Amino acid sequence: MRQWNINFYKNRKIYFAISLVLVAATLLGALILGVDRDVQFRGGVLLTYSYTGDVSSDAFAAAAQESLGRPVTLQESTDLATGRQNFVISLADASGVDAAAQTALTEALSAAFPENDLQLISSNVVNATIGGEFFRKSLVAVAFAAVLMVVYVGIRFKRISGWSAGLTAVVALLHDLAIVFAVFVWGRFSINANFIAVCLTIIGYSLNDTIVIYDRIRENKRVLGASVPIEDLVCRSVNQSFSRSLMTSVTTCSAMLVVSIVAYFYNVTSILSFSVPMFFGMVSGFYSSVCIAPMLWTVWQKKKAAKA
Amino acid sequence: MKKVGKPVFLIVVLLIAVMGWLTVCGVSTRYGDIKTTKIKSIEDIRWGIDIRGGVDVTFAPADGVEATDEEMKEAENLISLRLVNLNITDSELYTDYAKNRIILRFPWKADETDFNAEAAVQELGSMANLTFREGFEYDEYGRPAGTTLENIVLTGADVQSAEAVYTQGQNGTTQNMISLTFKDSGKEKFSEATGRLIGQQISIWMDDTLLSAPVVQEQITDGKAQITGTFTAEQAVALAEKINAGALPFALVTESFSTISPTLGLGAKNAMVLAGAIAFAIVAVIMVVFYRVPGFVAVIALAGQVILLIASLTGFFTLFPAFTLTLPGIAGIILAIGFGVDANIITAERIKEEFANGRSLDAAIDTGFKNAFSAIIDGNVTVIIVAIVLLGAFGPTDSLFARLLSPLFRVFGQSAAGMIYSFGYTLLVGVILNLVMGVFASRLMLKSVSRWSFLRNPALYGGGKQA
Repeated sequence: MRQWNINFYKNRKIYFAISLVLVAATLLGALILGVDRDVQFRGGVLLTYSYTGDVSSDAFAAAAQESLGRPVTLQESTDLATGRQNFVISLADASGVDAAAQTALTEALSAAFPENDLQLISSNVVNATIGGEFFRKSLVAVAFAAVLMVVYVGIRFKRISGWSAGLTAVVALLHDLAIVFAVFVWGRFSINANFIAVCLTIIGYSLNDTIVIYDRIRENKRVLGASVPIEDLVCRSVNQSFSRSLMTSVTTCSAMLVVSIVAYFYNVTSILSFSVPMFFGMVSGFYSSVCIAPMLWTVWQKKKAAKA
Repeated sequence: MKKVGKPVFLIVVLLIAVMGWLTVCGVSTRYGDIKTTKIKSIEDIRWGIDIRGGVDVTFAPADGVEATDEEMKEAENLISLRLVNLNITDSELYTDYAKNRIILRFPWKADETDFNAEAAVQELGSMANLTFREGFEYDEYGRPAGTTLENIVLTGADVQSAEAVYTQGQNGTTQNMISLTFKDSGKEKFSEATGRLIGQQISIWMDDTLLSAPVVQEQITDGKAQITGTFTAEQAVALAEKINAGALPFALVTESFSTISPTLGLGAKNAMVLAGAIAFAIVAVIMVVFYRVPGFVAVIALAGQVILLIASLTGFFTLFPAFTLTLPGIAGIILAIGFGVDANIITAERIKEEFANGRSLDAAIDTGFKNAFSAIIDGNVTVIIVAIVLLGAFGPTDSLFARLLSPLFRVFGQSAAGMIYSFGYTLLVGVILNLVMGVFASRLMLKSVSRWSFLRNPALYGGGKQA
């Protein structure tokens, strides 16, 4: 691939503006569309029944309501792989829905719709306490990983004033996490364990990208000495690392793109909310590592130099 | 730097091929109907319940009972005993002592189509039904019958505790036995029964399963009894634990409960394997087109990496247990395929630069690897850190990583989703293998092929054509 010579520093304000708009759009989307927490995190009941033939959703909901003794929310979907129809029964509160109630429900529904080969294909019953605890634990995990990253970068990059490197890298990280969050919001995925897994992976991945660039800045600083203006030093380093960042992103993103496409066609929904946010998170990770973190760091260093 | 011989490339390729063959096919010997596995094959992968279908359930003491750690341990024993009775042999069972919860996952069995998971879960969590019964009569299924069925001497509620003890005989042999203590409610009943049944058996049952059937030697009036016999120490401890489990004063309720039907997951697995194959092909083409010889070496290293990753899932040697692989786990493998060439890309780019600096082929390769190393290490460490956090946050509370991070997570209890743990594992192993294959094996291979005369044109390594 050719030698890159992009003046990232000159364009920095454009990059910052794009990112700010994206983050603002995400927050706006979250406010307008709302954020849906999965049963895993908020507690509740999610029962998926598959059936053949025609079943009126009103009749189905009524039968479920009678067996469970409280109102239910019903969603319909079609399984592209098997061609069967699905009903998803959801309840906001898991209390009282134990294994016995579930057996009774399945029996009642099978009796009400004997012609439709009713099958319970998945069930998810989570007590609200466990869900809430799990949610908080996940958030702590993400925060903890981010802190570890600042510390690690800070220690490893002492030579190029580590803490500013660590903090600007984390700003880029937060940007990437916002993009992952945006995909969940705009893609109407509910926030589940996949969200946390993707966030953590993107933290590691995006930082990996940023670090390779910082590593180059560190090396060039050693080779070129202090006489080179900092924006030239950074631009040169980013351009030198650009092919690598681009190619690794291309291979990794194409792998996740393949997973997303295959998962979409085979209706593997549990993976879709993993691979699609991962894909966009990685694109964002590439962008922020190249355009945001090093530029923020340069601006910071220049401010510091101006003060001194 | 030291020269690497011309055949080294072929040797590494051969090693990867042999490893691949062993990992996929395994090694086993067959003697009649008995198959002895020496090296596990791809068939030995433990698929997660999101693929095989199965049950994931969290039990807690009913009515908010504050159970002690010992009681939780006994409850876990009770469940594992009942799992055996239900013929569920493959399960994950662990207790979260900080939160007094027991987490159980078990897959659907291959031949079981109408297994009633709800009924099984109800049975697993129900109040322990320990009985001491008169005599030892049983029916063809091994369940209590006749007098034994009708006459219950005492129940678990009358038992205070059971403990495995041993005595030293005069000739130096140790005898293992179980020491029983009854509550006041049981003392009288036991005294009456032992007085009446001297020389006969009293059988001890958990639900409908026989635990032991000792012969009454003498009347026992003080509520303390011993069961003697030819127990090993382990057997004595196991029996004592089972009796203690039967004395548990609470039933278990399900706090969270999920089931997945086997039909749902199987298609998903095949889809993901297909996705993995396509992803590998795309990455291979990209690498060879853009990086020529180093790209080709990277593809071989990547194949080795995937093979070793699969080996780390089966356990490879029978000594190591297999690691459960879930759908997110497979996604992690595919991620590793995409990301696994990163070390090679960094190095290949460095080699190109060295050509631009006017170095010769051998010098460019040497310096390229040397300069790339610190970036590769730094970058991979970050992914290793997040993988460990993932394993700690989503894994069983008794796993190594959860213990490592327990000061952070202990107030939170276990995870309500077990699928991500497998992803953390494939991510961690993938990154570590990336270091091994992408740096070490790739360097050996590249330095070896660069000595083959028809591969000495720098253009094949991204250098200028004239050199």
